[in-house]
Amino acid sequence: MTLRSIRSVPIFVYLGFILIPIYLAIQRLIDVTGKDPFTAIFSLPDHPLGSEALYFSFIQAFLSATLTIAIGLPIAWWLGRHQWKHLNIIRAALTLPFVTPTIVAAMGFLALFKTGGPIESLGIDLRFETGFIGWLSNATGIENSGHIIALLLAHAWFNLALVIRFVEPKIATIPPRFEESIRLLPIGKTRFNRARYFWWPMLRTSIGSAFLFAFIFSFTSFALVRWLAPNMWTLEALMAVEGGAAGIHNYRTEASLLVLGGATLQGIILLFALGLAGYWQQKQSISNDVVSEYFARKTAGKPSLFARIGVSSALLFALAPLGSMLLSSVRIRDRTNESFRWSSEAWDIALTGDLTYVSAAEALSNSIAYALACMIVSLLLGYAVASSIHTFETRGKKKTAMIIDLLSMLPLALSGVMVGLGVLLGVLKVWPELFQWYGLPIIPHAMLTTPFVIRIILPALRSLDSSYDETAAMLGYSQYQRFIRVRIPLMKSSLVVAATLSIAFSLGEFGASWILLRSGSWDTLPILVDQLMARPKYFQLVEPVAMATASLLMMVTFVLFVITERFREHQGGGF
Amino acid sequence: MSIEIQSLTLSYDEHVLVSRCNLTLAEGEILVILGPSGCGKTTLLRAIAGFVKPDQGSIYLNGRDLNPLPPEERNIGMLFQRPVLFPHKDVLGNILFAYRKKKHRNMEEVNEIMKDMGIYAMKNQTIETLSGGEAQRVVLARALLTNPELLLLDEPLSSLDLNVRRQLAAEIRATLKSKNIPAIHVTHDHDEAAIIGDRIIEWSEFHSMESE
Repeated sequence: MTLRSIRSVPIFVYLGFILIPIYLAIQRLIDVTGKDPFTAIFSLPDHPLGSEALYFSFIQAFLSATLTIAIGLPIAWWLGRHQWKHLNIIRAALTLPFVTPTIVAAMGFLALFKTGGPIESLGIDLRFETGFIGWLSNATGIENSGHIIALLLAHAWFNLALVIRFVEPKIATIPPRFEESIRLLPIGKTRFNRARYFWWPMLRTSIGSAFLFAFIFSFTSFALVRWLAPNMWTLEALMAVEGGAAGIHNYRTEASLLVLGGATLQGIILLFALGLAGYWQQKQSISNDVVSEYFARKTAGKPSLFARIGVSSALLFALAPLGSMLLSSVRIRDRTNESFRWSSEAWDIALTGDLTYVSAAEALSNSIAYALACMIVSLLLGYAVASSIHTFETRGKKKTAMIIDLLSMLPLALSGVMVGLGVLLGVLKVWPELFQWYGLPIIPHAMLTTPFVIRIILPALRSLDSSYDETAAMLGYSQYQRFIRVRIPLMKSSLVVAATLSIAFSLGEFGASWILLRSGSWDTLPILVDQLMARPKYFQLVEPVAMATASLLMMVTFVLFVITERFREHQGGGF
Repeated sequence: MSIEIQSLTLSYDEHVLVSRCNLTLAEGEILVILGPSGCGKTTLLRAIAGFVKPDQGSIYLNGRDLNPLPPEERNIGMLFQRPVLFPHKDVLGNILFAYRKKKHRNMEEVNEIMKDMGIYAMKNQTIETLSGGEAQRVVLARALLTNPELLLLDEPLSSLDLNVRRQLAAEIRATLKSKNIPAIHVTHDHDEAAIIGDRIIEWSEFHSMESE
């Protein structure tokens, strides 16, 4: 076996791991429907809910991304321009929503908008659409406008971190002399002109990338749609629900056709958006010189009162849903006299599992076991693939490296539901005995997290100075010894960030787990929350127990987030 | 003879840098190759170290054919233009990196070499606190602890100011002579070459040492 073919092994293993389930699933759906994936796209309107799902997916994703930019851009501007006390804590608080599991976000917004909740007490009833929201629905003729507003706000909340991460470092590192120079020219006399001729050209790729990623995440959102806009259908939600009936010969062919066409169309849209975002990100990284953040911030000085109010409001927006959820787990509504009382009963019930097949403690241990296994698989595989790509780059095989790099990003175009359906319709229909395997969720979780691990490790490998490795070689260290004693210590930060993010994503993964583990003794915490919320609410503690379970998941995620932030090296314009 | 290069051809990006050249180095001899930037001096050293594969030709070190050996099995030390110190270790940690296993550590030898190089007092310092000259001293001490059969010096003094450069050049020569370690030093600085070298050859001269 040649060295080149050895270097390619991890790449083939990775692509096989990702592509085989998807290939098997597509093959099965083609067999059942008798149509190829591209023809199936045109059959989407034949499904009773197909057209509505397609239309609503686009509209809500576009509006969510627009709202994200509208809220996030001023915050990124203020944060990037001025000297803030405790900047790292503010940044961390504003980016916390992005690592929050989507089911936790859904519970947080339900707690915020519920009857007797903080928003309803302001006279805005998004849940039952009475009062002003009811009037708005009637006036505009848009049904479920309260639910749609809730969904858009939740998506903007979730994606706010994208604008902060992509745009704020860019604003903070643009040399102040550029703006100073343009102020002295006739074209830069007014703020509007400076925004138009200077800031917009400097920031448009970062803003564009943030918009596209917000669009992608909103388009494939499932838990938030399921719980905040239960009467609306997106492609992702419809595929998740119809997926159970798909892939069976002579049974509800329209379900198979919807999954085949929907997944193909969604894959194409996501691939296109990812390609464009990747291109813009690349342009952004080579566009201009930068200065230290400290210097640029010092030039603009301390924030104005307006900026302080704006950032404080953003912090309130970022933390309110999580705070409301935590409160809802201990604030019990008494249905008989419409009053509230404080109690830890919901936590006791959640931890003992009196309402469900498994307790929150058992679900947490399942979640942690899957997350650790997923971390090991994705870290090993992700490192091996990133290392192979980097070796091709350093050996002058730039084109090969670029092709593999692009292929490694392909799985980012797969949503949780698509991966879950891939495993369900592909792997499990071929090897049904896998249904009995406790480790089944590790497959989709690792499929989803490995591309992120590659995206974190590859830049770290690229920035690692080869002279460290060469010096160790000159001191007599073998390749293995160099890996253990030089590479790992020097890449510690990136490896810890990759590992904790992988654990956090796996812990919060909902779409694929919902398809594969809807009822059983291996339920994860997100699935348990969903099961609890789906129960009839005759018993007053059902919702608080769900909130307590979601709060438990949030606390674990929060610990991981703190670890990630401690080890994250400051980097501009990325995840 | 410590090193013998026979009919060596090296190229970079399809541009031939060295064509069928021969070179020998006597035991304990310090050879300086003088040449302008970008002429291929570093590539020659990297080929001897094992990081670049020659297009053709052989390199022997004390009678061993180096071509089939990876860098870690050649027993050669190398100092790069920029001192390479591991950021996750302090000064002593970097020097102890010369020993692959803890049980092989000889602290007496370590202390002695640190005193010889004038870096003993800074053994617990982090590497960011070192000046360029101090950092190169640490790198040299670490390289010497591996008892190399040959030392390659790739313009290690080029980033230092004139006084430090001259002083360190004299110290390197004295240390190599006291330990009888042969060395190949490449530089574009004539003063430095005169201080360090037993023999000085111009790159153009080396380039013309072609096989018949």
